[in-house]
Amino acid sequence: MSILVKQFSLISSVNFSVPNVSGASVGVNLDSNSRLILGYKTDCKGETSLSPIREAQGGDVSILGSNIYSTGFNNLGVPSAGVLDINQVGYGNPSNGIGNYNPYFARMSSNQSSASILLDAVSQNPTFFTIELGEADLMTFAKSGGTSTSPPVANGTMGIGFDGSLEEIVSALDINGAKGAISNVPDVLSYPYFTTIPYNGLKLDVDKAATLNNVFNSLGLFFVVGDNPFVIVDTTQAINVRKMVEGELVLLSAPLDSVKCFGMGSIFGIPDKHILTIQEISTINSYQVGYNSAISTVAQAHNLAEVDKKNLITSLSTGIVYNGVSMSTEFVTGGAFSLDGRNLNPSGQALLANLYIEAINATFNAKIPTASVVNYPGVIFP
Amino acid sequence: MFKFLLLVTFIPLFCSSQGYQVNLQGQIQQGMGSAGAAFVQDASGIFYNPGGLAFLNSNEASIGITPTFANATFLENGTSELARTISPVGTPFTAYGMFQLKDSSKLKLGLGIYTPFGSTIEWEEGWAGRFALTRLQLKAIFFQPTISYRITDKIGIGAGFVYTTGSVNLQKDIPLLDQDGNYAHAELAGKGQGFGYNIGLYLKPTKHLAVALTYKSQVDMAVKDGTATFTVPSSVEDKFPSGSFSSELPLPQVVTLAVAVTPNDKFAIALDMNYIGWDAYDTLAFDYAVNTESLEDTKSARNYIGTIALRLGVQYKISDKYTARAGIGYAISPVVTGYLTPETPDDDRVNYTLGFGYVINKSFDLNASLLFTQIKREDTNLETLLSGTYKVRVFAPGFSVSYKF
Repeated sequence: MSILVKQFSLISSVNFSVPNVSGASVGVNLDSNSRLILGYKTDCKGETSLSPIREAQGGDVSILGSNIYSTGFNNLGVPSAGVLDINQVGYGNPSNGIGNYNPYFARMSSNQSSASILLDAVSQNPTFFTIELGEADLMTFAKSGGTSTSPPVANGTMGIGFDGSLEEIVSALDINGAKGAISNVPDVLSYPYFTTIPYNGLKLDVDKAATLNNVFNSLGLFFVVGDNPFVIVDTTQAINVRKMVEGELVLLSAPLDSVKCFGMGSIFGIPDKHILTIQEISTINSYQVGYNSAISTVAQAHNLAEVDKKNLITSLSTGIVYNGVSMSTEFVTGGAFSLDGRNLNPSGQALLANLYIEAINATFNAKIPTASVVNYPGVIFP
Repeated sequence: MFKFLLLVTFIPLFCSSQGYQVNLQGQIQQGMGSAGAAFVQDASGIFYNPGGLAFLNSNEASIGITPTFANATFLENGTSELARTISPVGTPFTAYGMFQLKDSSKLKLGLGIYTPFGSTIEWEEGWAGRFALTRLQLKAIFFQPTISYRITDKIGIGAGFVYTTGSVNLQKDIPLLDQDGNYAHAELAGKGQGFGYNIGLYLKPTKHLAVALTYKSQVDMAVKDGTATFTVPSSVEDKFPSGSFSSELPLPQVVTLAVAVTPNDKFAIALDMNYIGWDAYDTLAFDYAVNTESLEDTKSARNYIGTIALRLGVQYKISDKYTARAGIGYAISPVVTGYLTPETPDDDRVNYTLGFGYVINKSFDLNASLLFTQIKREDTNLETLLSGTYKVRVFAPGFSVSYKF
């Protein structure tokens, strides 16, 4: 968003307030952890390698301690906000209890108990808005390994379905004829968070394969020397575990030390929350299709610029070259994603910002210059 | 991972014209649009046409220099950020010596030392194409001992052996950020040498007409033991081992057909037509002594095409002491669509030149010239996908002094 604003300001004066966090802060996520940096990590086998590590022991919880609202923020992008959260009054109200409010919105809302994100947006009488909804809904479900509540259904009235809620939001923003741009939902499962650990990453030597075969053959599980699918928890199985099948995904949240040294994924299964099964993947994909159809309908009804983030991510998943730089969805080295594997880093954000600008230029006959992507940093190496 | 492509060429087409045929090898010719293979007036014929030397009748030594001011800009498509070059002034120079054993001898001996390369292109810090190139410096000095023989009063032939020694220094950023926010950097430096020849035929069927045919062979500049230095974050140093590399660059053959008409003592017209064998430059390869998964040998398609250049010049003798010259050249670019690079922002171009000669006394001559050219070309490089518009302006004043004895 800040990249967009910077480009907008090249052609006209833009006042745009953002609830920034000091660059010196180590940041904080919803689990009170600090941001990730690339550093050296020693695993359970004593091997040290380059790996994302937390910058500090704990996150900077002081960020979320108080409300910093003064005259209103133009950037109302709230981490993890789903489509049903946008028009939810009290979405930033701590007295709802942990888990029932969003602490990032609590920090920036005009009134913790009576404001919603949408109300805070509409109260500014917007003339231009951008919307990127749906991805967070799918991501919340996907990053839980399919263990969280299902995302909102694609079709349903406001407060229940994605399309009804989106229409309500856009109608409210559009009430004075504001122009806007909206992004579709990419295939979040092609993000590094889901593609880095292979389903068949269980490497066995002769001894280990023999040991596992001794234990499991009678239960119907067989292991070979070399690459094997991981063993995962599956309560539908008689023995509560099974081997993964091709197409299933291991999440970056899987505890790799447990896998390497303590038999997770072989002697006992990787817990469900670190795995997306074929069925869960299929659920996410069908939601994505439904959401995108709704987004396209709403965009056309309100003459919004349509931003094809889905296509950007598809291109990145096979790799692109930009000004001599190779970029892809590969974890760390792909250069487009942050170290959590779930969000675009500044370089990737710049690619996306340019898509917004191109869509806005095409739809509204504008001439906003695009950003030079190489001016935005990627991963920092020690 | 960290796939590092050395997407580079090191032909400085940048200077004034196509490739190594920079044509800043003689002030008289430079004043006349760089035409002059059939209009040999002084020892610079060692370069322009060894066959014409034998028609001159003096011993001569000359030196010249052409400070070259070249500025390029790049506007990345869609953006509003203009990048500029901060290149230093180029200093191509010439030194010629020509001797005859006795007056009016049919045999002439000569030595030419000239720098048909010698440009540096450097882009300002942080420019959009920094991962394609930040700086390229190429120096090459040609040494050409030459022999020329006048077979009859109408036919002269000449041949020179060319030894070339040079150096290249190429730098670019690597898209790996360190803790201080600096990008990693690669520097490839090496020395190379090559051999070739330069032969010419000069015909003077009448007092008013001369015709020339010359051939400058291809010179393959080989860099055998260059030094690749990578400045990268310490955590990835093992992936970018500094060490040696080798590469090779063809400096293309040039065939020139030229005619010069001198209707009277005051007036002369020269026309040259060059064919430049740029098609030899189809691939640029770098072979690293040590390869890693991040540092592989590279082969980059260049796909240059052979090109034609036309050069037309006129000379008018104002008096015994003063001579004025003017010329125009048109050169087709060897770089086809999709292959434009920041080190060779090249296009079809028109060169405009002016020249001036002054005879100080019977021993000393001064000659000066001025060249101007500019290009503007938009392209998307197929390898780096660097997409935008280059503009280049070149301004090259030069002068030389010669001593006849």
